[in-house]
Amino acid sequence: MKPVLQIKNLRKDIGKKTIIHDLSLDVFAGEVFGFLGPNGAGKTTTIRMIVGLMGITSGEVLINGISIKKDFAKAIQHVGAIVENPEMYKFLTGYQNLLHYARMVKGVTKERINEVVELVGLEKRIHDKVKTYSLGMRQRLGLAQALLHKPSLLILDEPTNGLDPAGIREIRDYLRKLAKQEGLAVIVSSHLLSEMEMMCDRFAIIQHGRLVGIESVQDLVNSSQKVLLNVNPVEEAVSIIRQIYSNALRQVTKQGIEISVEREQIPAINAALVSKGVKVYGIQTVAKSLEERFLEMTGGNEIA
Amino acid sequence: MPSFISLIQNENMKIYRRMSTWVMIGLLALATIAGALMIKGTHKEEATGDWKKQIIAENQTLKAQLSEGNMPKAYNKQLEKQLRINEYRLEHELKPIASNSFWGFVVESSNLIEFITLFTIVIAAGSVANEFSWGTIKLLLIRPASRSKILLSKYAATILFAVCMLLFLLISSFIVSAVVFGVENVRDPYLAYQDGRVVETSMILHVLSVYGLNSVNLVMMVTFAFMISTVFRNSSFAIGLAIFLMFTGSQITMLLAAKFEWAKYSLFANTNLMQYIDGIPPVEGMTMSFSIMMLLVYFAAFNSLTWLIFKKRDIAA
Repeated sequence: MKPVLQIKNLRKDIGKKTIIHDLSLDVFAGEVFGFLGPNGAGKTTTIRMIVGLMGITSGEVLINGISIKKDFAKAIQHVGAIVENPEMYKFLTGYQNLLHYARMVKGVTKERINEVVELVGLEKRIHDKVKTYSLGMRQRLGLAQALLHKPSLLILDEPTNGLDPAGIREIRDYLRKLAKQEGLAVIVSSHLLSEMEMMCDRFAIIQHGRLVGIESVQDLVNSSQKVLLNVNPVEEAVSIIRQIYSNALRQVTKQGIEISVEREQIPAINAALVSKGVKVYGIQTVAKSLEERFLEMTGGNEIA
Repeated sequence: MPSFISLIQNENMKIYRRMSTWVMIGLLALATIAGALMIKGTHKEEATGDWKKQIIAENQTLKAQLSEGNMPKAYNKQLEKQLRINEYRLEHELKPIASNSFWGFVVESSNLIEFITLFTIVIAAGSVANEFSWGTIKLLLIRPASRSKILLSKYAATILFAVCMLLFLLISSFIVSAVVFGVENVRDPYLAYQDGRVVETSMILHVLSVYGLNSVNLVMMVTFAFMISTVFRNSSFAIGLAIFLMFTGSQITMLLAAKFEWAKYSLFANTNLMQYIDGIPPVEGMTMSFSIMMLLVYFAAFNSLTWLIFKKRDIAA
């Protein structure tokens, strides 16, 4: 499969300082791809270079195979984006804002504008001035302007910033739907790991302007997991676990026994406990391993 | 790729959907009406038969000044022109055009072009800088339109605004003048002095040329404000600097011109093209074509700097 976005050895110097070092990655159609990193790691700078707001010192950004540097207009027409906050013309209505952006691309009809308005659920307020909108409504309007021209690459910088939990969930579901059903490549950036985990298929960890690694959420979930066992009697269970997986045991707390195993090992432990007559009241996965993995990769506690 | 027309439509929407624009248009209308009423109030009926006596007296002073001959050449030329025109008036029984008459007020109200310059500076200063301060520049520049095209559409929309304001002033001054002063002298000609002869031309042509010549200053100041706005991304700074220069630039140039010849290369020595028709250029030997050349050089310099910076800039707002 041909990637929608290809970044090749991307580098940005400002003055004598290098902000982005030799970044390379591919994003494919139908996936939600995350840029994860602490504030100031270079996520937004990278996004700005992808959409041509910032010059590229060296390296290349290709969108559907077209270089953003050499053929900006042709490359950018496949991109819809919100860079940082969705700032709109506050003295215009939501509809006038969309009209403004629709005029800047060929072939966006009035029907398409209405369709997008409906899609983001702003029908009732679209003819109100943007200054009366809540942050959540502005995010929706931002999403609407990014989708107007049916892009194949959607880039959202911190899309859940300032949203309430319901709004976050809605955006998350919506982005997944866009990727799976419409086949868009979606890029989101965030400094929150938990968000990445729930939204993305894959994510790149960026720190100090360098790519630390690219992770697949699926692989991470399948690998090592932290599991909480609620059993009785505890002492006997501990000794059984020591016998089968000596390295698995983490600690014993009031909540239960904490172990760290791979997904496939959980039924085996359960079977062993049950066969020895230990009562198992609950097995609960505590998805902490991703965060641990993240800290391991970035080597510190710089995450917010 | 979007058409240039739709980009201008966008810019127009951003200009005319704002309250402040309409306040400026309202102020201009108010100033026209207030000006007419003030002239009406201060100029009481002048004795109609007296204008000949007044001109004869004026001519005597003019002649006296001319015969003294210790004035600069350009000033003498000015006096002679006035004298010839006055003589022509006496000869052909043509009453001078008073400010409290139809044409008088229409010409007088062209002074309000300074207002238009001011308002257009405000629009020009906001055009690029506001996109930065609102943060909307990030969404504006990620469309399939080149930065040059977007910048040009902004400049064009600004100039379009000035043209609309000029038309608005012209039309409203006609209406206000007709209502307040009547259309009694609507058929009077304008007396021009060309190659040592007095010729009768139409008054409307004269008004249009006054507008045209005054617009030169407007275009230069607006281009300047547009440049500052793009370079510094700060609309208040652009407005402040442009207005400061607009009001002090010509005075400073006059002071410099008294001492140094190079003052003729300054922008403000050249923006007032009226000086070649109705006045005296600040440095002797300056001509209309010299000034037009200088203006073109400044115009090109302002615009290419604006364009270069806008095209190259990293958007990190």
